Amino acid sequence: MTRLREIIARWLVPAVGLVLIVLGWSLSLPAVAWLGAVAAAVWLVYRLLRKRREVRGGAKARSTVKPSQGASPIVQLPSRKRPRDESEILVQDMLDQGRYALLLRPQIVENITEDQFRLACKALEDGMALVPSGQVVLGLRDEALDDGRLDEHQVNKYDGYVVEVDAVFLDRYPVTNAQFQQFVEGGGYEELALWDEDILAAMLDFVDSTGYPGPRFWRNGHFESRKADHPVVGVSWYEAVAFARWCGKRMATDAEWTKSGCWPVTLGPGNWLQRKFPWGQAFEEHRANIWSSGWGTTVPVHQFSEGMSVGGIHQLIGNVWEWTSGSYGRGEDASLTLPVPMKSIRGGAFDTYFENQATCQFQSGESPLSRKRNIGFRLAVGAFDLTSRATGIAQPEVHDQVPATAEEVTL
Amino acid sequence: MNRGCDLPMDSYRLAHYSVQVPCYVCDGGNTFDAEHCRHCFAPMALAHQSNTQKVRPQILAVLGTSGAGKTVYLGMLMDMLSRQTKPLQVLARGAFSISLQQRTAAALSQGDFPAKTPNEPDRWNWVHCQVRSKYHRRPVEVIVPDMAGEAVLEEIEHPRSYPVIRAVLSKCAGVAILIDAMRLQAGQHDQDHFTMKILSFLSELERDAKRSWTDRPVALILTKSDQCDRCFDDPEAFAKTHAAGMWQQCHERFPQYKIFATGVAGACAFRHVLGENRRRIPLRIEPHGIVEPFDWLIGNLRPPRG
Repeated sequence: MTRLREIIARWLVPAVGLVLIVLGWSLSLPAVAWLGAVAAAVWLVYRLLRKRREVRGGAKARSTVKPSQGASPIVQLPSRKRPRDESEILVQDMLDQGRYALLLRPQIVENITEDQFRLACKALEDGMALVPSGQVVLGLRDEALDDGRLDEHQVNKYDGYVVEVDAVFLDRYPVTNAQFQQFVEGGGYEELALWDEDILAAMLDFVDSTGYPGPRFWRNGHFESRKADHPVVGVSWYEAVAFARWCGKRMATDAEWTKSGCWPVTLGPGNWLQRKFPWGQAFEEHRANIWSSGWGTTVPVHQFSEGMSVGGIHQLIGNVWEWTSGSYGRGEDASLTLPVPMKSIRGGAFDTYFENQATCQFQSGESPLSRKRNIGFRLAVGAFDLTSRATGIAQPEVHDQVPATAEEVTL
Repeated sequence: MNRGCDLPMDSYRLAHYSVQVPCYVCDGGNTFDAEHCRHCFAPMALAHQSNTQKVRPQILAVLGTSGAGKTVYLGMLMDMLSRQTKPLQVLARGAFSISLQQRTAAALSQGDFPAKTPNEPDRWNWVHCQVRSKYHRRPVEVIVPDMAGEAVLEEIEHPRSYPVIRAVLSKCAGVAILIDAMRLQAGQHDQDHFTMKILSFLSELERDAKRSWTDRPVALILTKSDQCDRCFDDPEAFAKTHAAGMWQQCHERFPQYKIFATGVAGACAFRHVLGENRRRIPLRIEPHGIVEPFDWLIGNLRPPRG
């Protein structure tokens, strides 16, 4: 009945107009015919105007529910005043996109206002945790870390090696779908300067399931709406590196990643206390999302907060493997041959079956072109690469700490 | 003043020897204390368990070429099901039933695949377990042998060289055939041909119309699928493309079949071991699609006859 009323209300005016035109024409009453024509014309203009308003309103409504809005579920920036000029708009956009690390570079920080500097510092503090400089033991077999205490003898016995690490900021959470959406919408896949020249040929394959540029399991250039705060997966190592460049960060080295999780304490020369898991020496199901936790898929990045590291970094263990800048299988094990050159991944994922393969020490490898559903990433930025005004860490006069391998300093 | 002493009642023992215990797999007679059947080398523990617990377990055969991943699949399956209650719950019957999962899990957790199953039937691992599922009101008793791929091929090429294989296949209530998806993708047709041989062998093994393969499930499992994404996305299409012969034969002769994709290792590398060829090793273990084929097989099992 309501529908009938709607139809009558919509078509009454043009119908009456038409009837008047026909009557006026047939009865030779031009005034009546003209009246009908005017009614029909008014109705037509009204409909056109209304249609236009609806289209505008719809677009506005769509833009308000865009998944890119509030892209970072973790870094909530304070409300801001309306930007005044182009440079301010640009800075504001960068803050909105989570590219605060770029703004805090010594070369750029002088060009932003005090308000913007404070916002960028707040975003850094909320989004990243400081991992202090120091030593970390890598390459150890599981049994070496059963009680967490290590000495030089054990390090040699269990094929370990000591690496000096500079202070570094590491993302508190893995990069989420919403954060990666900013990169996609910001034209990250079209900006060739972000990508290694060698990989340009393969970039045509970096598309989602519907052929749009983006992570492999997205559709039409967007992530699944309920997964905004899940870690982004289905991205190759090269896509992770491009994202890192876009937001002014870099991939963490294996040593930085491991140090942030096992939080080593140097007890004295040649003596360390180092954790197997970020929370201690034994695996506990409620602290990380691996196979035995029973989820069977990724979970939002702020879940499993009980598995947080000492420094406040979440989900280092479980949920998704994380790309690092290092290569897998170099040097340590000469008997190993890889079918393809591999990049190092760490931390285990929701489908990792054995707990001993989800420790801070465990390293696995994957082809840098792989775009798997259980591999994501988090980013780092060297503390000395940011202005000391933001970090509170003074630049060393002589920088004499040498990383373990040349590979680990490459992006 | 009398000093007691224990004398074995040899007459009682002899009486036991005179009664033959039939092997559960081949029905051949054996002495009561035999460890393996003297005819087919199947463990006699299966027969003893069946007699004492008054159950008639159904046999599920797992077939495939050498290196297709039968041991890893079965070992992982049993380990996973013993650690969870849904969708299936598995309770091992007898300590020997746990050996396979123990051996597999120990190797995989240390970054290695379990050693190749020897060809000698008396060294195979057998699993006897009770399976609780949503499909059957009462628990289903199942026996699954881990047979060597080379022995299966030998029996198919030269019938009666391995009586246990023929006996298992004659009695089995369902079959899982494992096919190496990596080799298929690489264009090697041996997997296709071997599977066609097995299917042909199975369809001709049972001439009795009542026990034909019309109501027995056949699961075709594409293993190592984690190394080829397209296989996981659509196993049926992958099989049609890369193993057309197998798919055709299965489609024509076996009304109850389904194609699955599984993977255990997220990535693999090769290790050179002194005195050996290079050996494939897993870089991490992340099982996918392991339970689904077994779940489907259990769901399609018919109640045991007699």
